[in-house]
Amino acid sequence: MEILLQLVFSGIALGMIYAVIAFGYQLTFATSGTLNFGQGEALMLGALVGLSLVGNIHGGPYLNYWLMIPLVIVFGALQGAVVEWIGVRPALKIKSEFGWIMSTIALAIIFKNVAENIWGKDDLTFPSPLPSTPFQVFGANVQPMQVVVVLGALAMMLAVEFFNRKSIYGKAVVATSNDRDAAGLMGINTSMVITFSYALSSATAAFAGVLVAPLTLTGATMGAALGLKAFAVAIIGGLTSGMGAVVGGLILGIAETLTGFYISTGYKEVPGLVLLLLVLAIKPAGLFGKTAIKKV
Amino acid sequence: MNTIIKTCVATALVGWSLAAGAAEPIKIGVTGPFTGGSAPMGVSMRDGVKLAVADINAKGGVLGRQLQLVERDDEAKNERGVQVAQELINKEKVVGTVGFINTGVALASQRFYQEAKIPVMNNVATGSIVTKQFVGPENKDNYVFRNAANDTIQSAMIVDEAVVRQKHTKVAILADSTNYGQLGREDLERTLAARGIKPVAVEKYNLKDVDMTAQLLKAKQGGAEVVLTYGIGPELAQIANGMEKLNWKVPIIGSWTLSMGNFIDNAGKNGDGARMPQTFIQDATTAKRKAFIEAYQKAYKIDRMPSAVSAAQGYDSVYLLAAAIKQAGSTDGVKVREALENLNGTVEGVVTTYTKPYSHDDHEAIKPNMVVIGEVKNGRVVLAK
Repeated sequence: MEILLQLVFSGIALGMIYAVIAFGYQLTFATSGTLNFGQGEALMLGALVGLSLVGNIHGGPYLNYWLMIPLVIVFGALQGAVVEWIGVRPALKIKSEFGWIMSTIALAIIFKNVAENIWGKDDLTFPSPLPSTPFQVFGANVQPMQVVVVLGALAMMLAVEFFNRKSIYGKAVVATSNDRDAAGLMGINTSMVITFSYALSSATAAFAGVLVAPLTLTGATMGAALGLKAFAVAIIGGLTSGMGAVVGGLILGIAETLTGFYISTGYKEVPGLVLLLLVLAIKPAGLFGKTAIKKV
Repeated sequence: MNTIIKTCVATALVGWSLAAGAAEPIKIGVTGPFTGGSAPMGVSMRDGVKLAVADINAKGGVLGRQLQLVERDDEAKNERGVQVAQELINKEKVVGTVGFINTGVALASQRFYQEAKIPVMNNVATGSIVTKQFVGPENKDNYVFRNAANDTIQSAMIVDEAVVRQKHTKVAILADSTNYGQLGREDLERTLAARGIKPVAVEKYNLKDVDMTAQLLKAKQGGAEVVLTYGIGPELAQIANGMEKLNWKVPIIGSWTLSMGNFIDNAGKNGDGARMPQTFIQDATTAKRKAFIEAYQKAYKIDRMPSAVSAAQGYDSVYLLAAAIKQAGSTDGVKVREALENLNGTVEGVVTTYTKPYSHDDHEAIKPNMVVIGEVKNGRVVLAK
């Protein structure tokens, strides 16, 4: 029982990381029908910028861990806006169906290379703001930072949802995601809304980066694997549902740790991907997604 | 008159061509990962090699010619290694190559050196079969040499340390899914079986895995008293840190890669006490070692070598190759191989002083008595007590 609990706890912490990144995919998909394939790199950049502020690599530490978080979120927002401006807007303007795919991937590669030159190619340690000694919950060990990851991720997603439902700006986002042309006719500056959604999605990824960095190692290559897993999560959960991101993340995270223990660590990643194939075959909109009717 | 002019011209021509020949440098290839998770090994190896070449060139080079390095990053990728091998052989026309950090890259690339009859000196890759890839009746001669402690030696030492010295009977093996990890795992299992021990858990993980809970829990549930590892720095650090997450502390004993800077730094206090076989520890125990360490620190403005073992073995590999070229009196691959197999005199390196390091059937320079057990202590590798 303790074992199962331990595996589930680790799976939850891992799954929430996936969920936050997956949530970022959804934010941009909702407003513009496009995805930022550089979400993993946005996470990596956030983590590395955070490391420069709190670590001792660039003559620091300059800031306390908690004070660094808002700065990293601002940085993430700017980075997302740049991606939208350079990579996505031109594609949307010429109504290119798929141009944004290549341009966001290209930007992701550029960001990775830039990061390799600034921070080096090695993995670095991120100082943990909390003691890393685990405490016991029903006999299973949990690290304080793992709790912070789960709570932080949930808080971030709730804040975004709350903003979208309650504030006037959020309503503009929702309106744009429902029908971009109609929203435009109603006087909403939809291209501004799309830029905003990109900024928001990269900001969440950057935030996720500094959350997970104390648990994992930080380095220019940390984004690729996480970004890809999160993409699977977004598909499993459905690209139109914040709830789907959370559930999908938890399913994948827990499936990985359970398979690793009960079947074989060599097949750790298989069930999650089998699930992805099943979802695509049976319910292509994802577990929580709304089926969109696309005119051809 | 005519004859005199002709003689003059001829002499001048001969002299000129001889002079040109003397100025022509001897090209030596260097291949290793200078980027990615294995980079500390690759970069340290390359830095060691450069120091050796600078030393030799300062003393007039070999056969009156300077040594020239041709460096290529194989990125620890097998397919990239193959490209590098072909480029070094066919385009750069190297006389010999030193390098190969990753066992998988070595196994994929060596055949080109074997076919071209050019000696290749593995100065880091440790997979037991690396030097045995081209032996036996099919191949008359083997062009693959090594001056690193192979996995047969290392796995015996790891098991010895865990089972005999520390008296553990329940062991778990954690190895990565690369050729290196899996071949090492086989060696460990074989060595354990010879002592009648069956590991309580044998687990693998992928490079860049961020969660080791499942693997470590299995080891813990099996009642493991010690964890034996075969992997490289970053993931080894995840193992040490994962143990802390589970509040489970047992000794880690593993292959020499536990001495890598990126393990020591990323595992921090969790890495303290990890033990591994070492051919070289950054500790000035002899005059030669002292000079080498000081030269390294001065040249690369660094206090702790990222991978001291790689640097030392890289340094020695150049001296061994240079000694063979000198003895052969030629840069012809066949003659250099023959010279390597029958080296006269001694070659003083920083790992050891090599006396007859190779023979026709034995291409391993490092013998078990040259390897010691190191231990991570306060961010450094020291000799284990």
